[in-house]
Amino acid sequence: MTTREFKTVGTAVRRVDADDKLSGRAQFTGDLQVPGMAFCKLVTSPLPHARITRVDASRARALSGVYAVLTSAELVNMETHYGSDKKDRPVIAIDKVRFQGEPVAAVAAIDLATAEAAVELVDVEYEELPTVTGIDEALDPSGEPVHESNVCHEYGYEWGDVDAAFRECDRVFEDTFEFPMVYHYAMEPHTCIVSYEPDRIRLWTSAQHPFLVQAEIARLFGRQLDQVQVVVPFVGGGYGSKSYTKIEPLVTALSREAGRPVRLALSVDEAMRTVRRHAARGTIRTGVMNDGTIVARECTGYVDTGGYTDNGVRVTERFGDRMPGPYSMANVRVKTRGLFTNSTPAGSYRSIGGPQAIWACESQIDVIAHALGMDPFEFRVKNLVREGEEVRRGRRPIEGDLEYALRRVADEFGWNSWRPGPTPPGVKRGIGFACGVTNSGASPTSTSLVRFHADGSATVYIGSAEMGQGSRSVMAQIAAEELRIPYGKVRVVASDTTAVPWDRSTGSSRSTTLMGLAVHDAAIDIRQQLLDLAAEHFEAFPEEIEAEDGRASFKGESVAFAALVRNMFGGSGGELMGRGYVTPKHASGKLRQDTVFWEVSIGAAEGEVDTATGEVRLLRYYSISDPGKAINPKQVEGQDEGAAMQAIGHTFFEEMLYEDGQLLNPNLVDYRVPVFTDLPHEFETVLIESGNGPGPYGAKGVGEGGIVCVAPSVANAIFNATGVRISTLPLTPERVWRALHEAGQEAG
Amino acid sequence: MKPFRLHEPTDVHEAASALADAGGGAALYAGGTELLLAMKSGLLAYDTLINVKSIPGLDAVSADGDTVVIGASATHSAVECDPLVRKRMPLLAEVEHGVANLRVRNVGTLAGNLCFAEPHSDPATLLLVYEAGLDIAGPSGTRRITVGDLQTGSYETSLEPDELLIAVRVPALPAGMCAAYSKFGYHHRPTLGIAAALGVKDGVVTEARLALGCVSPVAQRLSRAEDVLRGERVDTLTEGASALREASRLASEDADAVEDMHGGVDYKEHLVRVFMERTLLRALARNGGGDG
Repeated sequence: MTTREFKTVGTAVRRVDADDKLSGRAQFTGDLQVPGMAFCKLVTSPLPHARITRVDASRARALSGVYAVLTSAELVNMETHYGSDKKDRPVIAIDKVRFQGEPVAAVAAIDLATAEAAVELVDVEYEELPTVTGIDEALDPSGEPVHESNVCHEYGYEWGDVDAAFRECDRVFEDTFEFPMVYHYAMEPHTCIVSYEPDRIRLWTSAQHPFLVQAEIARLFGRQLDQVQVVVPFVGGGYGSKSYTKIEPLVTALSREAGRPVRLALSVDEAMRTVRRHAARGTIRTGVMNDGTIVARECTGYVDTGGYTDNGVRVTERFGDRMPGPYSMANVRVKTRGLFTNSTPAGSYRSIGGPQAIWACESQIDVIAHALGMDPFEFRVKNLVREGEEVRRGRRPIEGDLEYALRRVADEFGWNSWRPGPTPPGVKRGIGFACGVTNSGASPTSTSLVRFHADGSATVYIGSAEMGQGSRSVMAQIAAEELRIPYGKVRVVASDTTAVPWDRSTGSSRSTTLMGLAVHDAAIDIRQQLLDLAAEHFEAFPEEIEAEDGRASFKGESVAFAALVRNMFGGSGGELMGRGYVTPKHASGKLRQDTVFWEVSIGAAEGEVDTATGEVRLLRYYSISDPGKAINPKQVEGQDEGAAMQAIGHTFFEEMLYEDGQLLNPNLVDYRVPVFTDLPHEFETVLIESGNGPGPYGAKGVGEGGIVCVAPSVANAIFNATGVRISTLPLTPERVWRALHEAGQEAG
Repeated sequence: MKPFRLHEPTDVHEAASALADAGGGAALYAGGTELLLAMKSGLLAYDTLINVKSIPGLDAVSADGDTVVIGASATHSAVECDPLVRKRMPLLAEVEHGVANLRVRNVGTLAGNLCFAEPHSDPATLLLVYEAGLDIAGPSGTRRITVGDLQTGSYETSLEPDELLIAVRVPALPAGMCAAYSKFGYHHRPTLGIAAALGVKDGVVTEARLALGCVSPVAQRLSRAEDVLRGERVDTLTEGASALREASRLASEDADAVEDMHGGVDYKEHLVRVFMERTLLRALARNGGGDG
């Protein structure tokens, strides 16, 4: 038997949501109208750190058109705190506020204007506390801590004899790198509608993890899972900002209070005070031999998780997991700490802890290569982990040949033949490289249901949220391929907890790999049922039946799948159901080992520095993406380029600026996000399909890798151009100019 | 945003009366690109907005001799694309093309930009070297001021509460003048704007008009730097003569730069020096080519 060729897998099919999104028909949470819906506005704390001494909402409640005002006094007959790892976040501030913009009260009114007017009538009195701003102040024990202490989480691991290795190596390098607080800027700020009803709670929300929201709401309000429905319409960008539970508990409590559905749609300003990426400081000591062999690395670091834990525990851990880099080292010690400060709580953001860790790791690799007089590319290659080697002791070995990947990027970029070429006076050009691997996939748990209808079409039920990444199209491709029907005959129903079976989450680059596997298995379950029906029809064995293009055939005769299904149910209708369970035991325990897969990231940048102004122009950027198998190659490129473009933000200009706990730039005029004119003229994804991921067809995730290597490769290019090392992001013209100025390298 | 009443006057007099009647509770509204953002974020609140777009003819761009008269409700895009502007003052068209983004340019107005008095305005800086005039209407009639007389501080102008700007009068640069505009920055609003217009006769600079904006609250002319350039030979300036560096140094000294999110004072002063040189060289490279 010859190998069957894929029909839709591996093809850049038209997205199933393309027409709806291009025409504006696609519905996001904010487009929905729920009958009787009230509008919510928040009363937020103007102070970053204070005790709440009085909240008086009586004037607001008396305003005509106001249905309810929620304050901490109303948090009765329910659990009051939530959170993914530590339940430290109150549904609404209780006794104390921990960041500027924290909700202290919430109004539900007949319309937004009334709600806005009522907000002005809520009287709140505070007793101001000293503010904890940034990592250094969080480490200073003198002031009042944000929680019981300012330490949110501590993490570490170690192998080998690190101290001995440092004593015995030829040279030791120690450098510290800083990464700023940044904001995701999902185009759709968090939006949520909740209808709290006697026998059920219904939520329509812009959430990435509908089932985690369902579980959290059920726990908070003492309901069974079947009584909580979470519907996630199209999500206007997530990037981690809509991971876990955000504004849903507050809106649910307010709906309970108002006795009617309540809608809250945040502004960009409010979204910037809801979640952000962790600022980080990473210090790396590296011991090397004079021949360029890395023998030991000790990574210590801090992440600033803001006023509440949110995803601070996992980010602290991933920051530590990702900092040593993809290098073969006999001795490693890692210690990271997550710290509370009086700022927006920090949570998941595309590759949690990854850009921060790899910024430090890959900047220092360049420092060392230069000091040893080695080409930074060859220095990396010399120390890379080899295929099948454990990147972190006790964890899944690296799947794929990193050296091959690095050389592919270097070749396509033209690393070895590169020359700066002629430049105007004061302008210097350079190239830089970076690579990293990130442990991805979160947990290996997803389920899917596929219904095969009596006309030969199918409906696929998935828990994944569609936030632009194209999961619905990929799932339709997988189902069509395994059902042996055309792509156009598959419809995907997603992210409604009363309709679709359970999924863990939409994040950590996991959906194609894990939900894809569940859909794959559910479709095969149906195909097997069809083959059994066909075997009965042809009086043959199932193994003898060929299935293709909606038909089963045997010895030159064929029958439509649709006819098989109808015949089974007596002729008029009917359908088959297929299920797919992905658990750690899947495929004989293949998914049990820690980290579902390693996501590979490689970046090569050419940049140009105007040494008179400090302006850096990114001329070329090459990134790699290894999806194992590109089920939809265009979407793979879209993920990689989208992630790299997002990274241009934290590389060149994005930074949430705090002064005494006050956010100075809570808008998109003062907080600059990347636009298309910021892209380099050459912006390429090098696609490698190594075929060894744990997902269907050897696929693995690629949603995050593109974001981690831009900053270090650009800083390395600046160093290559000017000889000046910059260890703090973003690389604004002023920061670059000051660094050049101090080093005596500025022109003009 | 708090609810407001929208008043739609049909002539300038009615607009001025409505302003006077509101006693500070009203604001003029044209494109709304700055005003509505500020109102949405709660920084400003008005009971009444007076929509000047409802006044017929106020969006006209017309010629008055060598002067182009731009009505108060003409958008940036209208100015940028106007045939008169493109022919007689292509640099204004070029600078208008670089204002914000297409959506802002299609609704935001030149006059609104000047009156909002946001410190990071490209046109406010450029119009100083055109020596533009402004027609201001009030209850007692119309008066004319120079563009430099309008802005008095960050978001502050010399307009009386019952006055409105009805037209921006931009005289074409005299024959033989060459001009250029530079802007720099990575924020949405520029960090620095420099305009230079130089009159050249027989290879010698006879007139110099230099303006600097964005680094300080109010855009300004740089008279000391202008003085240095007058009488200098173009060919020695383009070779980087000391006068070029001296003018740039004086520009930097007179910059009145303030520290903000766009940078520290020393960095801004440094940028003024760098970009004054670059702008002068670009203007001189257009010698004989007018302002485009």
